[in-house]
Amino acid sequence: MRIIYHLIVKELKQLMRDKRMRFLALAAPMIQLAVLGYAATTDVKSVPMVVCDGDRSSASRDFVSRFTNSGYFAVEDTVDSPNEIDRHIERGNAWLALVIPPSFSADVLARRTVKVQLIADGSDANSSNIAIGYATQIVNNYSQEILLEMLEKTPMASKPARVIPRVRVWYNESLTSRNFMVPGVVVLVLMIVTLTLTSMAVVREKEIGTMEQLLVTPIKPYQLILGKLIPYTLVGMVDVTFVLVISAYWFNVPIRGSVFLIYGMSCLFILNTLGIGLFISTIAQTQQQAMMIAQFGFFIPFMYFSGFIFPIENMPHAFQYVTYLIPLRYFLEIIRNIFLKGAGMDTLWPDALGLVVLGVTVLSVAILRFNKKLG
Amino acid sequence: MPGFSLKNITRRIKPIIVKEFRQVRRDRVSLFILLLLPTFLMLVIGYALNFDVKHITLAVYDNDRSSASREFIRGFGNSGYFDMAGYARSNREIDAMLESGVARAAIVIPADFSKNLLADRDVAVQVVMDGTNSNTATSALGYINTIIQTYSAGIRAKFMARKGIEMYVPIDLRPKVWYNPELASAKFLIPGFIGFILMLSAVVSTALSVVREKEQGTMEQLAVSPLETMEILIGKTVPYLIIALISSALVLLMGFFLFNVGVRGELAWLYVGIVVFLLAALGQGLLISSFARTQQVAFMMAILSSVLPTFLLSGLVFPIRSMPWLLQMLSNITPTKFFIVVIRGVMLKGLGPEAFWRELLYMLIFAIVTLAIAARKIMAQRMAA
Amino acid sequence: MTAYAIEVDRLAKVFGDFTAVDHISFSVRSGEIFGFLGPNGAGKSTAIRMLCGLLEPTSGRAEVGGFDVVRQTDDLKKNIGYMSQRFSLYEDLTVGENIRFFGGVYGLSSGAVKERMKWVVEMAGLKGRENSITGTLAGGWKQRLALGCAIIHEPPIVFLDEPTSGVDPVSRRNFWELINGLSEKGTTVLVTTHYLDEAEYCNDIVMMSAGKIVAGGSPKELKKRHITCQMLELQADDVVGAMESLKKEAWVRELSLFGIYLHVGVDEAETGAEMVRRAVTADGRRVIRIEPVTPSLEDVFIHVLGEKGE
Repeated sequence: MRIIYHLIVKELKQLMRDKRMRFLALAAPMIQLAVLGYAATTDVKSVPMVVCDGDRSSASRDFVSRFTNSGYFAVEDTVDSPNEIDRHIERGNAWLALVIPPSFSADVLARRTVKVQLIADGSDANSSNIAIGYATQIVNNYSQEILLEMLEKTPMASKPARVIPRVRVWYNESLTSRNFMVPGVVVLVLMIVTLTLTSMAVVREKEIGTMEQLLVTPIKPYQLILGKLIPYTLVGMVDVTFVLVISAYWFNVPIRGSVFLIYGMSCLFILNTLGIGLFISTIAQTQQQAMMIAQFGFFIPFMYFSGFIFPIENMPHAFQYVTYLIPLRYFLEIIRNIFLKGAGMDTLWPDALGLVVLGVTVLSVAILRFNKKLG
Repeated sequence: MPGFSLKNITRRIKPIIVKEFRQVRRDRVSLFILLLLPTFLMLVIGYALNFDVKHITLAVYDNDRSSASREFIRGFGNSGYFDMAGYARSNREIDAMLESGVARAAIVIPADFSKNLLADRDVAVQVVMDGTNSNTATSALGYINTIIQTYSAGIRAKFMARKGIEMYVPIDLRPKVWYNPELASAKFLIPGFIGFILMLSAVVSTALSVVREKEQGTMEQLAVSPLETMEILIGKTVPYLIIALISSALVLLMGFFLFNVGVRGELAWLYVGIVVFLLAALGQGLLISSFARTQQVAFMMAILSSVLPTFLLSGLVFPIRSMPWLLQMLSNITPTKFFIVVIRGVMLKGLGPEAFWRELLYMLIFAIVTLAIAARKIMAQRMAA
Repeated sequence: MTAYAIEVDRLAKVFGDFTAVDHISFSVRSGEIFGFLGPNGAGKSTAIRMLCGLLEPTSGRAEVGGFDVVRQTDDLKKNIGYMSQRFSLYEDLTVGENIRFFGGVYGLSSGAVKERMKWVVEMAGLKGRENSITGTLAGGWKQRLALGCAIIHEPPIVFLDEPTSGVDPVSRRNFWELINGLSEKGTTVLVTTHYLDEAEYCNDIVMMSAGKIVAGGSPKELKKRHITCQMLELQADDVVGAMESLKKEAWVRELSLFGIYLHVGVDEAETGAEMVRRAVTADGRRVIRIEPVTPSLEDVFIHVLGEKGE
């Protein structure tokens, strides 16, 4: 329809004419992805640690070296007395403190249990948890070695058996959190751009007054809607292309699945975000309101509850049902699976279906409200 | 300078504040969102979110099916971290379970498991992990290693008992957790969440304020001299400041009563930190406002410069130390990072200003610099208008 | 089409407990310039919106161009042009882009758009400025461009809602020349304005106040009907004081402030002038000038409102 064509052309012209908007809609997502791709890492490495070695023997130094050699810990400072630890942990210089008693080597030789203290800064619960876990493993291994050494010294034919795990990691062999996070960031950036652009675009016309001028012409409501949805879908698709390129070639995140599928699913997702944007535009009178609603009503809940960072399985059961209403949840799953598992429609269809159902519902509600508001 | 006594300044700022307040008050929707939604969100977050990695779905393929292997498997079930996803009867089934996502991890026990153990021979057990979510995968692997270690330790103990050797634990590691002994996620999340919310309210609302005037052509209101422009800008932002403060008070109360997140340190210092942080955030918002020409652009800039970076870069969720050096430097741009140090310091560690005066200073400088640049730019635009 | 382009029958619009338009009825002949007068808040814009199919009436009927405004909005919109009070073209598009957009939206073929583009540009005096960003134009040009875009499809009926508000007097006059041009070609033009002097250019007028029509007819008829006395214009050193003095006099038929002058209605011009002079100077004020003046529509309006006890 020619009218829709004209509406699309106008919208795109307006978008592209504003230099800043051009930048924001196209370049900013890429930059965001670039920066956040690096930042979004939950890998716990080089945990800064303070060591108070009361023994200072070769044995205790060897013990400490187990920590540093693992790669998980980095000794920030060595202190002489436990009192000096407070300063470091308070400032946040060190997350952990290892306190080795003066009797360390003596106890080990005499086969006495050595009490080694590990102090952790609990304010960063997640990292502390993981760090303590690593520390415990290292200590257990060390203990085991001591025991085995001891056993070797006693005359006997055999040693106790051990169960040795042979670990194989699928889909993300190096367990880099980036491979997990980057697809998530892609999704997030896409959502922000499309949702923002749509909701504000409609409200802006209302605010300026051009909406009235449009309404007086033969333009029908559905044409208006399409005239708003289609341009931003196109922008969204361009953004998807950019971020895909960056993900694959800059961050080396594997894209094992079909790129067409990614575009297709992105379309479904954008359907959702555009619907939400349209919906917001029917509630908000001013662009400021639109922004408030978008932010607090959608972005923040989506970021926290969609499984972007906090896994859904760990949420209370009752709450997990609520997350079914979040389109981000499905799309994250889909994108991650396509990227890392190379999944196809045969495994993706439930999530895709979720997106479709949600999208159609949201769009319908939004369009109905839009029509009503016009009349 | 004439006319710049405190009395005069307040006299001029008051009508601006009043006008802005009236405008805000009429906007019921935004008010509702700014005041109530953060509290509500915090409620949900405190209730629903935690970092614990549990309910890891585990599939087992037991080729041995002896009492030893069953005891081994029980170790996983009893740990409380794993949910048994099912017993597979072939390698293909294991693969299928992992591919479809039914199981996140799988253990394959060889047929000669118990036989080897009885003969004091080492035995290898296959562990397959779905690494898509590296965070949970890392934790899960950690648990699995620990459980297997414990099992091996049990074997060792029995062995030594058999041989009549006294068993002892060479190194006893006593972890002690400061500030948050239960490692409750809420204690960690809530202070950061307050910063997040404040940042959002402040930056995004002020980012739109000046641009709106630009769009509607009421820029003439802004005065000629830089100081007066500053006055007007501050006057405009005071209502939002107050709203954000009220909002944070509500969140703090909620956090205290529902999640036991109290303030260990001095409440006064907490509020000093909040006010300074808000000034910095407002400054950022106004800076954006001065650069953007339309509200759409202002909003996008605000979101992209505050929401995402705050969420990801400020150490709120991801530890900054794990990031590449360049990014660690970049993270210094957002005042949120420093605010989190302050707020965690006061709330969780009970520290005083000696510990975080540097952060406070930085935020103050940030606030002054951004306000100054914003004022300059807005004045220039007003002159050109 | 019938002789009447617009027929309005007891049209009303109620918002909650506020009646914006209170059962108005009038008719507009084809090809005439019809004026909708009244102060801000009288209900003019609401009425126009209903006639354009933008707002649904609470009660009453209206036919524009033979189409019912409620039931035939699609056809209605194809046959009208509308220019709103707020300038509502896209400021960030160029002149040409705005014209092409609206041309396309009204379903003109690309050939027709080219033709009309030439006409609009000529009419608005924007030749050579087709690639200027609309937002950079001065107020007067913008208004003409908006008009051009509103009638790009050459509709038989055009609605102009306060088209000259905020525009300088020279541009205002030029604009009215345009409107006259349209009317000469047979287009029916319905204009709302609160500039009563502009109303003199209209063929027919209705005056609205508080949602009702308080007067209607051609300017000449209105003046003849309502102003049955002679109007004098008084310039004094203390106009307000003079007004106070004259208020007390029973022979004063009309009295109103007209800018910085006073308009006094009397039975006869010469004797009336004398009586005014005496009354004013008696209270110690000085008369600078007093002379007869043709009654204006503003005088009519004030008289009418006065009658209705507003």
